[in-house]
Formats: sequence, C-alpha cells, structure tokens
Amino acid sequence: MKKRTFLVLVVALIASAMAFAGGDKEEKSSYKLGFIGPLTGDNANYGTMSRDAAYLAAEHFNAAGGINGIPVEIIAEDSEGTVEKGLSAIEKLANTDKISGLIGPVFTSTTIAVGDRVQNEGIPLITGSATFSDLTNIGDMVFRTVVSDGLQGEVAGHYFYEVLGYRNLAVLYAKNDYSQGLYESMSATFESLGGTIIDAESFMVGDKDFKTQLTKIKQVNADAIYIPNYTVEMAQILEQASQLGVDAPFLSCDGFSDPEIYNLAGNFTDGVVYVAPAQVEKSDLYTEFAKDYTEHFGIAPDSFATNAYDATNVMLQALTRAVANGDDSRQALRDEIAKTKDFKGASGIVNFAPNGDLIANQGVYKVEGTTPVYIGAFAVVDGKLSKVE
Amino acid sequence: MVSVSEFFQHLMNGLTLGGIYALIALGYTMVYGILKFINFAHGDILMFGAYIGLFCFDALRGNAPLGTWTFISFFIAMLISMVVTAGLGVATERIAYRPLRKANRLAPLLSAIGVSFILSNSAAWIWGTQSRKLNYPFDNTPFNIKGVVITPHQVMVLIVSLIMMVSLILFVNKTRMGKAMRAVSLDQDTSRLMGINVNQVISMTFAIGSALAASGGMLIALDYKVYPSMGMMLGLKAFVAAVVGGIGNIGGAMLGGILLGLLETFGVAIFGIPTAMKDTISFAILILVLLLKPEGLLGKAVKEKV
Amino acid sequence: MFNFFLLILIYTGIYSLMSMGQNLMTGYTGMLSLCQAGFFAIGSYVTAILTTRYGFSFWATIPLSAMMAAVFGILIGLPTLRLKGDYLAIATLGFGEIVRNVLNNWDSLTGGPMGIQRIPMVKFFGFTINPYKKIAFLVMVWIFVLVFYIMFERLGRSRMGRALQAIRDDEIAAEAMGINTTKYKVWAFAIGAAAAGVAGSLQTVYSLSVTPASYTFMVSVLVLCMVVLGGMGNFAAVILGTFIIQLISYFPQLVGLSSVIPAQFKQILFGLILVCMMIWRPQGIIGTRSYMVGKNRVKMEAADELA
Repeated sequence: MKKRTFLVLVVALIASAMAFAGGDKEEKSSYKLGFIGPLTGDNANYGTMSRDAAYLAAEHFNAAGGINGIPVEIIAEDSEGTVEKGLSAIEKLANTDKISGLIGPVFTSTTIAVGDRVQNEGIPLITGSATFSDLTNIGDMVFRTVVSDGLQGEVAGHYFYEVLGYRNLAVLYAKNDYSQGLYESMSATFESLGGTIIDAESFMVGDKDFKTQLTKIKQVNADAIYIPNYTVEMAQILEQASQLGVDAPFLSCDGFSDPEIYNLAGNFTDGVVYVAPAQVEKSDLYTEFAKDYTEHFGIAPDSFATNAYDATNVMLQALTRAVANGDDSRQALRDEIAKTKDFKGASGIVNFAPNGDLIANQGVYKVEGTTPVYIGAFAVVDGKLSKVE
Repeated sequence: MVSVSEFFQHLMNGLTLGGIYALIALGYTMVYGILKFINFAHGDILMFGAYIGLFCFDALRGNAPLGTWTFISFFIAMLISMVVTAGLGVATERIAYRPLRKANRLAPLLSAIGVSFILSNSAAWIWGTQSRKLNYPFDNTPFNIKGVVITPHQVMVLIVSLIMMVSLILFVNKTRMGKAMRAVSLDQDTSRLMGINVNQVISMTFAIGSALAASGGMLIALDYKVYPSMGMMLGLKAFVAAVVGGIGNIGGAMLGGILLGLLETFGVAIFGIPTAMKDTISFAILILVLLLKPEGLLGKAVKEKV
Repeated sequence: MFNFFLLILIYTGIYSLMSMGQNLMTGYTGMLSLCQAGFFAIGSYVTAILTTRYGFSFWATIPLSAMMAAVFGILIGLPTLRLKGDYLAIATLGFGEIVRNVLNNWDSLTGGPMGIQRIPMVKFFGFTINPYKKIAFLVMVWIFVLVFYIMFERLGRSRMGRALQAIRDDEIAAEAMGINTTKYKVWAFAIGAAAAGVAGSLQTVYSLSVTPASYTFMVSVLVLCMVVLGGMGNFAAVILGTFIIQLISYFPQLVGLSSVIPAQFKQILFGLILVCMMIWRPQGIIGTRSYMVGKNRVKMEAADELA
C-alpha cells in the first residue's frame, strides 16, 4: 500500500513538472542571459558576488530602457562548484530558458566543461574569473574579462626579476586552478630569466593555517614571497607571516585588488607589491560601481564582482548592437562580442584578442599602509618588459 | 637540516593546531561517548556559535579600544553564544535525533548529515557567504623566545582546551550528572530502570557539547575568521582526532587532537611530504590507528558478546 | 524541459551503478562504507588518463576502471573490514578524502587542480555517442545499468548473496556456520567498488573533463542516502531511490524555480527531507524492517564507555 502511495507521489511530482513547463511558452517579453556560478558550497562567496554584479548590471541596463524598451533578464543557476551541477545548469539555461548568452561559470573546472557544451550549442560565454591559460582554446564562443594566468604571470615574472631585482623567490599557493596557474606561469617566466624559485609551498583549498608553510619559507631566506591566492587566504597568510616574524616582502596577484583585503588583513598589507589589471585613466566607473554595489548588497565588490560586472555589460552592449542590426541570434551576439572595442568597464578597458582572451595591460601596484599606489602599466614585448603609457 | 629554532617553531605551530582540533574533538567525543552516534552537525553548531559570538562581541564592544572592556565583553559574548548554541544543540537533538534513538545506526547518521545541510545553508542564506573578521579582544603581538614566535592567541587556545578537558573529566567523574551520563552510556534501559531521566541526561550532553563547540568556534574564529562552511573540514579533522585518541574518551580527544596537529606539521616540515598533503597524513594516521588499535589510543577494547 | 529530464535520467543511471554497489556493501553485507566517491574518482581518472594520454578507446577502459577500483577496494577493504559500523564508516571516509587529496596533488599524472580536459567522445562502430545529444548516451548508460542490475540480482540470490546476508544478520553466527566472512566481505567490497568505477568512466565521457573538486565526500553521502531512501537490500528499490534523490536535486531546475528561489533553499530542503525521511520511514520507500544494518550490534557497542 505504502509503496503505491510513494509511486503515486513520484508520478505526481513529474506530472507537475511537466505542467509547470507547459506554462512558459515564450513571446519576446525579455532577453535572457544566463549566469552559472557556485552559489552554495565552499566557494559560494565568489559565485554570489559575481551573480550580484551581473544582477546589478542588468538592473542599470533595464533602468536605462533595456533594448528598445524590452528588459534583459539574468537567470542565475548554481553550479555548487562541480562539473556535474554546472552541466545541469547549462542544460536548463540552454534548453528551458533559451538564453542568448552566458555569464560565468566562475571557476575554471566548471567553465571548461560548460565551455565545451556552449561551444557545441553555439552560445557565447563570457567568464569574469576563470583564468586557466588554455580555456579560450575551447573555441570561438568563449571569452573572458579577466586576464589569463599566462599573461599575468608573465608580466609578474618579468617585473619581479627585472624591476625589483629579485633572484630567489619563495611561493605559497593553493591547490586550485587559479592559484596554481599563476604560480606556474610566473615561475616559468622567472626561471627562464635566470631567477630561482627556492621554495614552493602549497595548501589545500579551505586550509586556514599556514604557519607550517610559512615557517619553512622563513628558513630559506628568499628575496621575496609570491602569494597568488584569493583574498581571504592572502589576508590569513599576511597575518600569520607577521606573527611568525617573516620579514621578506610579499608579492601578489589580482586577488589583491579586492578592497576587502584591507578590512581582513589591516596593516599587514603594508609593502605588498601586486600585479593586477592596469588602472583606467581618470575613470570614475570603478568608484561608481563600487558605491552602487555596496549600497545594493551591503558589502564592497571584489575582483570577481568587478569582472563579472564588466562581462555582463560587454554582453549587454553586444546584444544591443546585435538587436539594432536586426539579428538577435546567439551567433550574432557572439560576433558582436568579438567586435567589442575599447569598452570602458569598471575594471579597465576591455578588448578581446582573436581567441577571446582579454587584452589588458597589467598594472603594478604597491600598497602603502592600506592604500594601493599605482606604479604603472606594463607589457611584455619580445621577451622584454616595457612600460606602457 | 632543520635548525633548533625552526624545530621549536614547528612544535609550537603543531601544538596550537592540535589544540584547535582538540577543542572541537571534545564535543564530538562527549556525544559519541553517550549516544554512540557521530554528530555530523557538530562542526555546523560550532559555526553558529562563532556567528552569534561575533555579533554579540561587536555589539558589546562598540568602538572601544583594546583594553579590559574588550576582554570582558569577549567573554560575555562567549557566554551568550554558549547559551544560545546549547539551546540549538538541544533543539536539534529533540527534533532530529531523539525520534531515532531506537532506529538502526544509519538513521541518526543520515539525519545528522541532514541537519548539517540545513544549518550550514541557513547560515549562508541569513548571513551571507563572505568571511567576517572577529577582532582580537586582546593585543595579539607575539612573544619571541630565542627565535621561536608564540602569539597570545596560541597560548590561549592551548590553555582553554586544557581547562575544558580537565573540567569535563571532573564533571563526568565527580558529579551526579556525570555519573548519570556514564550510566546512560553503558545501558540506556537499565539506567531508566534505575531512575535516571535518560532524556534529560542526553539533552544535557548535547547542551554541554554544543556550548563547548560555541566557545571553541569563537576562539578558532579569531584566527580563521567566520564563514558558513568553517565547521566542515575542521569538524571532520576534529572527528578524526577524537577517533584516533579513542572516541568516547575525553583525555583521548585531547591527545588525538594534539597528536594530529603535531604529525601534520612535522610530516610536512621534516619528512618532506608536500604541504598540501596534510590531510592525507591525518586520514592515513586514522586508518593506521583503526587497524592497529580500533578502539583508539586511549579507548578501552570491548569484547563482542556472542 | 524534456532534454533536462533526459539529463536527470542520465545522472540517475550513472549514480545507480554507484548506489547498487553501495547496496551490496551496506544493504546486503551491513558494511557502512562512505567512499563510493573515491572509487568513482578512480574510475573517472582511469578513463580520462587512458583515453587522452594513451589513446585507449572508452570501451577498453571500462574493464580497467572496474579493475582498478576493485583493486583499491580490496586494498582498503582487507585491513579495514574487521572494523564495525561507525568505525568502518570513518576509515572509508578517510580513504575517500585521501583519493581526492592525491588526485589534487599528483600534477604529473592527474593534472592537479586543473584536471584533465578534451576527453574524446565515445565511439560505437563509427557512431559517436555525443553526450550533448543525450538519447544515445542515455541508452548506453541504461544498458550498463541493466547489465549491472541483472548481475547484482543474480549475485544477491546466489550462494554469495546468501552468505552476505548471513554476515549482515549475525557475523559471528555466519562464521560459525563455516562462512569465510573475510573473503565474502572483501569480495562484496571489491564488486561494489568496481560498479562505482564503471560509473566514474561513464561520468567522464559525459562531462568530457574531470577535476578533483567533483569527488567530495558529499557524493558518498548522497549515494548512501539513495540506498537508504530506496530500501536497503533491494536493487530495484535502490534505483528508484537514486531517481528520487536526483529528481529532488534537480526539481527546481526542471521546473524553472532554481533561479527564483535562493540557492540555499534546495540544500535546506534536501536536509529537511533527509531528516523527515529518517524519522518517518527509516527503512526506505520500498524496504522492510528486516533490512536494517546492525540491529543487533547496537547493544554490543554500547559497552564503550565514557572515561
């Protein structure tokens, strides 16, 4: 008897699902863009911030009239940080919602799996945070508004060796795609120039105690310590390093451009040199965005949020142009994204390379107290570091 | 080769990491000792405690500079958090575990996993997912003793976990309630026949375990920050510590915690295991201990009755 | 919508292999193992590494995945299987975490945190089974499920199945009756692991990329839930349990609610269902009270004491 009740329940569940779905036959009441990112689980924070930024971009866009009065809708799906859920998310977005384009996925592993999929379906994708060098080789549908590990690591390696004059570096990185990617590309450049990585220590995502690693690093007397990590881990590392009396200077990456670091790490940030996207000249865009974001969501945006905001805006602009040309297909949207030229975003000027990578000059910053001071923009030309004006 | 000061630095790091594991392991062991059930939600209870402590502390402290008042308000916040979290622990036991006391062993385990899901995701929903900073209520400038650096926080963690261990042992062995707890752990039905209010004893166990978790959570949060999934991996490690030491044995939890902290630290520091493999060390030790002495280092072997 | 339902069915198929394996360990033999995720990962990586680096065809990697998972099953099983109940659960959980940790750190073999990409699609006599097109893939997955189902059903009714049940009901009595308990337990563990290994291979050719982040111990927990929810000791029920859990997991996406409700709701709801299920129907949807784990072990272990 009870068996039957449950079976009936299951059938009812399915039937109601079908009924729900039958309801949304679409007429063009809005343009739909998808978002995928980890909204629950260990990395939920990065996903949530990116999603909120995408929401904010859409809200501004709609407030300004949308596309000929038709609003844009962002449909956010949770990937839980896994490939499995990422694939179910894109399945739903692609076939149920019939999105025009996709923002995210936030992390490399999910982005690769989803990227293969969108390439196959012909849905353009812009990620604001997956930095794995190889990612854009998936195909012509994949773009990003964050520089690849390769580019940033190259500039970092040159800068540390040539300008700062370091010869022996120690590295402390996390075993995740972002951190390890930066470590690998920076050290490859640095060593090819003649420098030595005298100690590379790693930790698992989720670890909060780095004293063992830092004690080991302290002993090797490196010229400086490179810590390419996410904000929270970096704050933790800086604090524990200062407790342990590690006095070598710290070098970092674009994760440091998140103002939250000064809140979490306080004065320990003094003296850190980091490489991040070059500053936009005399632009209030970032300040405006940061103010707006903080008002909306109660916390300041980090680099994930900023890049996702730009990704969304780039896509919205492209969609507007595509619609103006009378073709709102996914392919047309893709072509318009590729044509993006000198888009002024909150993170800087956005231009895409033919493979979909962000072309951006890397900026170098030095923190004084708790204020980052901009040193200048750099690029590597013919194996030589040169300052960009 | 490792220099003397580096060796002692690693020793100190290992000890405090162990102290943190021990702090959580005590709560696990309490509950397991009495109910024979892995409270998977313990780490999440700890996280709740840390959040409540954080809010209370911030509210009480206001903008006061470091001083006696911050120290006092930290402890008031800890007390409030302990009381609230104890209530939460008792409530989860009432709702999710008590109806399952007579069921098979799997049921409470899965129910606890369900509770863990509910707690961690509710926290993420209510308070957001970002890490929040719990400020030190005291000046955490480290002492430097011949090249070995020790922070006041490290000392505090060790002292607090020691105090908790001793007071728990005293409580279980010397008080009436403690005696009742031991009786319940041996045989619930017989204890009931002897006039012990089993439900009350179990509620009490959960209250104490959760209060311990709350205080531990706050101490840990000083160093590790507060965020919704803070209890997960820490909880798992602490549980491993409890099992290694001999689950159900309070001294064992302490020993297991310290041992795990030291072995993780020295394993990567001296034996050259890649530092990201720390977890592997813990789990390998766990399996090794279970093989050689399944009841744990300090646990008592139990003969199976046929 | 329809496509999404197919996706749920594919995931159900893949997870069914794991949960049937788990059922052999837990439902039949009474071993509370929590490392299906570990075996799942091993199977995934065997297929991923062999197809991308050594040019193996998917079909050739299947037996190898199964074997590799089984070997690890025996390696972990031989020493740990004399542990009882919770202790076994913890030891196996530890093993699962070790697997993930090693996958994440062994960069030269597994690609470390970046994992392995560009895994070729399955070819079947010149016909490509494209996971994006779903139907063919779905059929392939469910053929695997059917084969394993028949195998497990027959196994359950065989001499070995009866021996396993005897071990579950009373290990000491079983031993007294002349059953070689260690041998049977290790076999059950190895076969259960092999099924998870095959599931891993299928998962790999579905997602076409693997990363260590996908094999957390939550996967093991989920698989255990599927077994318990369906009804322990009954393979058909376990498949039903798997379907229901997957349906619950993906229901918000299926009906388009997932972007409307806060993301945490799904998880909270899942937790609630788990708790309620345990309170009102701990024996599962289709399951009888006789299929309980360790019902006569509670007393034995109650003798641990609080020192």
